[in-house]
Amino acid sequence: MSSNNPFDSDDDKDQVAIVGNGGGQILEGFLCPICRADLKSIDVLTDHFARQHAEEEDALKSVFKDIFTKAKNKILNNFDDDRSGSSSGNTASGASFSSPTGGNGGGASGGSSNARSRQNAFNFMGKQQVGAECSHFEYFQSIRNPRLERYASETNKLIIRLHRLLKDLPTNAEQRKIHERNTVTWLEGSLVKLCPNCAKSFHLARRQHHCRLCGGIMCHDCSKFLDLEMAMQLASLSSTQSDPLQNLHLQQDRAIRLCQHCLRLLDTRHDMHESRTCRPVLAQVYEEIGKLKKNVTPDLEMYMKINLSLNEGENIFTLADANALLGKIGKVAEALDARSKRILAIHCEPGSREEALKKAIRMSCMQAIKERMLSLPPLPKEEYIRQIQERKRMETEQRILTEQRLAREAYERYGPGAGTSNQSIESGSFAQGSDLQSLTNWSAPQAAGTALSVDDPLIEQINIIKGYIKQARQDLNFEVVETLEMNLRELQREVYERQRLSQNRNDD
Amino acid sequence: MNLISGIKLYIEKMCSESGPGMKIILLDKDTTSIISMAFSQSDMLQREVYLFELLDSVRSNERLKYLKCIVFVRPTKQNIQFLANELRNPRYSAYYIYFSNIIPRTDIKYLAECDESESVREVKELYADYLCVNPNLFSLNIPHCMANLNWLPDALTRSMQGTTAVLLSLKLNPVIRYRAGSQAAQLLAKMIYDQITKESTLFDFRSNVDGAAPPLLLVLDRRDDPVTPLLHQWTYQAMVHELLQIRNNRVDLSGRPNVPKDFKELVLSGDQEDFYGNNMYANYGEIGSTIKQLMEEFQRKANDHKKVESIADMKNFIESYPQFKKMSGTVQKHLCVIGELSTISNKRNLFEISELEQEMACKAEHSAQLQRIKKLIADDRVTIEDALKLVCLYALRYERHANCDTSSLLQIIKTRGGCPQIVPALIEYAGTHVRQGDLFNMVRITDAVKLTRNLIKGLKGVENVFTQHTPLLKETLEDVFKGRELDPVYPAINSELVPFRRPPQEVIVFIIGGATYEEALAVHQLNNAGYKIILGGTTIHNSQSFINEVLTATNGIQFKHTKSMIKYCSTDNL
Repeated sequence: MSSNNPFDSDDDKDQVAIVGNGGGQILEGFLCPICRADLKSIDVLTDHFARQHAEEEDALKSVFKDIFTKAKNKILNNFDDDRSGSSSGNTASGASFSSPTGGNGGGASGGSSNARSRQNAFNFMGKQQVGAECSHFEYFQSIRNPRLERYASETNKLIIRLHRLLKDLPTNAEQRKIHERNTVTWLEGSLVKLCPNCAKSFHLARRQHHCRLCGGIMCHDCSKFLDLEMAMQLASLSSTQSDPLQNLHLQQDRAIRLCQHCLRLLDTRHDMHESRTCRPVLAQVYEEIGKLKKNVTPDLEMYMKINLSLNEGENIFTLADANALLGKIGKVAEALDARSKRILAIHCEPGSREEALKKAIRMSCMQAIKERMLSLPPLPKEEYIRQIQERKRMETEQRILTEQRLAREAYERYGPGAGTSNQSIESGSFAQGSDLQSLTNWSAPQAAGTALSVDDPLIEQINIIKGYIKQARQDLNFEVVETLEMNLRELQREVYERQRLSQNRNDD
Repeated sequence: MNLISGIKLYIEKMCSESGPGMKIILLDKDTTSIISMAFSQSDMLQREVYLFELLDSVRSNERLKYLKCIVFVRPTKQNIQFLANELRNPRYSAYYIYFSNIIPRTDIKYLAECDESESVREVKELYADYLCVNPNLFSLNIPHCMANLNWLPDALTRSMQGTTAVLLSLKLNPVIRYRAGSQAAQLLAKMIYDQITKESTLFDFRSNVDGAAPPLLLVLDRRDDPVTPLLHQWTYQAMVHELLQIRNNRVDLSGRPNVPKDFKELVLSGDQEDFYGNNMYANYGEIGSTIKQLMEEFQRKANDHKKVESIADMKNFIESYPQFKKMSGTVQKHLCVIGELSTISNKRNLFEISELEQEMACKAEHSAQLQRIKKLIADDRVTIEDALKLVCLYALRYERHANCDTSSLLQIIKTRGGCPQIVPALIEYAGTHVRQGDLFNMVRITDAVKLTRNLIKGLKGVENVFTQHTPLLKETLEDVFKGRELDPVYPAINSELVPFRRPPQEVIVFIIGGATYEEALAVHQLNNAGYKIILGGTTIHNSQSFINEVLTATNGIQFKHTKSMIKYCSTDNL
């Protein structure tokens, strides 16, 4: 993993960024080390870095030096063995700063130039790179964000006022009015002749009203009303924090009079909050589906691998393994089916887009189940596997026999002196042979049969590994099974070799 | 240089940049077609895009705040307005906005001012602004690009945008050449050049590191070769387009009798379906035998099906079911299409007509051909459209012939109730006064190379009478790759880039007035020989759509070159 040598992996930047921010707030993602913006992917980050910070080489150098020393200290503490490796990595990336293209900095510069050369090579060959693109998001943000900040401060002001207004809102109408006037200063009525919104004059029938948040004046028709409960929610007051909510039902007027402008600001805030926190059942179940789909992918790959290995007559995996895995995949398929059905069952308006969405999700689940899980190639029959294995073993035995015959002939021809050297070549040659599996297949019972003492460390190791394999099989962890089986083979071969050598010695 | 993967990579990028989660995609009419050419609906479902919506359709106010929204639209004023409204009142949690072409900064500013709820996460240009028909063929779906034999302004802008998008998505900064003497070609070439100069940072592809010649963009005019779109076609894709019409990879069979209900609308996409991908350039005869093979294979499997006895057999069968069903669908679909093609060919006597068409396009034998035309167009089995096409070919071929007898042929058409004004319109559109090059191999004695070539062609004889004709484009491209002098006929607009006597590695051809599938086939053959060519056009024509284009382009102009046919020119005779 990259932790061994963080300087030559592509992940270094985001790792570095996390280390660099260690003191204060912790940011995650593909962060630019200078402006600390989250750039979503390594490509975007590299690109951004090359464009935005090309001139800031000096600043960059110091930033990186800082980070590198921190990282170095950390590494020196944690990985004493790797010290030489990481320091050489450090000097390598340090050198790249002095090179003319060093503006990119560190490992990322290596990565991007690498990508560029690859792109040239493959531009008009089979593999195609994604075409040109041009992002305007930075410009977009430079326009949007200052505006948003202005709005945000205005909205915050309103919310603070709302909070004060609601905190001890009297139930009595008269008292409430006084409380409202105390919280927000109302505009002097005599100053305003026309409603600023509809430009109609005020008179007996069209009276002046005040916005309770900004104190502005408008007519009744232009007034907006904010429901008290909603107002509570906006001011993030809950029933435990204040009394008014308990006697909310006592309020005669269950809304607050507002002008259009204030209401819009509050509404936008509410919307933003909602869209950030909105997680209905549908979204929750969907997340589960996503997880299931993601988790089953390695299983599917493993199944294909096992199937191939079985069909080729290897005996790393057994038919039972494959069936167990198939069972597991089947269970995931069932779970997916159940989840998508559950989504379909969630109530919604007929004809709405939500309904269409649910149907589409169900369809994609069905499709995924059908195409990825049910169309897996069938397993070979047991007899068939045995046949292949038998054939393979025969071939190997045949080969060993011929080799032995050749060796014997050589022995007879050149005498015993040459024979031994030949024999060693022979043993070497089939140690490298590709059919070791089937060879060790019969070495295992042999090892058990010959009464070797159990305290032989190799045998002990073999037994331990066998135990592990059994454990891994039960957990359906076939990747581990595979590596362990490989180790086992090697150990068994070692034991076999040793036995043969000792037998030879006995024969001599 | 594969246009389909070009578009696919862009869409893939859109779907992945928004991260995991449920998504809706907002499109306009054009981008809907663009996406549908590269991805099927189930492909999009797999990328978690569950809903599709047109930006300009009637909005429902249903808010689905747990959805992310990908917006992929062309940068038109109208779309910007719709998008602004959407952002002021956002229905989804986050917006990832992608424009299919270069967008003015003022529009971005306007959108930024509308995003009060901070829901936009990305604003980007991804140049997927053309319809990828085949890996080497694109269209812009402009059915009529000219009026009064001049560009329609919208069509001109769209062509410029489409062509630059192709260049950007393939990362090419080319030498631009146009057909000399064609105002339309010159104007488009100039506009593309201006755009490239204006956006020079975008087109800054470090290409010729190893000193390779820069790519070439060749802007051609359909009026140089009016013959190719008129000929009847016999390769699968071209034939389907000629007889049944392909629109955005879809064939509409709903109007045809005896078509099974499932096949009213068919999708023919070489990218999504191997059979079509392998056979779209195969000719009619070959495809028949391929289908037969496929049928036999299918029947073998179906027979296996009958022999299911044990439970294990059944299980086996079910396990191979997805492929089985897929295959049976493919077989039935193409069988249905081929069946239709064969019915039409027989009914309209197309074999005989096509043979004559090909001979007129390739050989000059005036009197014999005139006799055969007269006989054929008087025949009731020959439809009036086919008869008109024959007369069109005759009029083009023998326009300057001493005994040219177009008027008597037009008289026959008129008595049969056809509309003869098509022929003078076609001559005005693409007669000898417009054309350059040797459309009918009328070679001057001085051109030794071409003379020998024709001689050899004549000696070799004809392999297939129905496919003798090769489009003019093929010769042009061969000239380009052989490094012949191009400047007289195809001057370069940015001559500073032109390398000294080195042929380009990659060529993009754009035909104003539409490309054809026959030309796509020629390009495919050249690409198989190791060249890298992309063909595009304002649209992909068959004979009918080409005739419509000619009629629109010449509508209202004064006919100067067809005095002899003056009495057939007016539309009153309809």
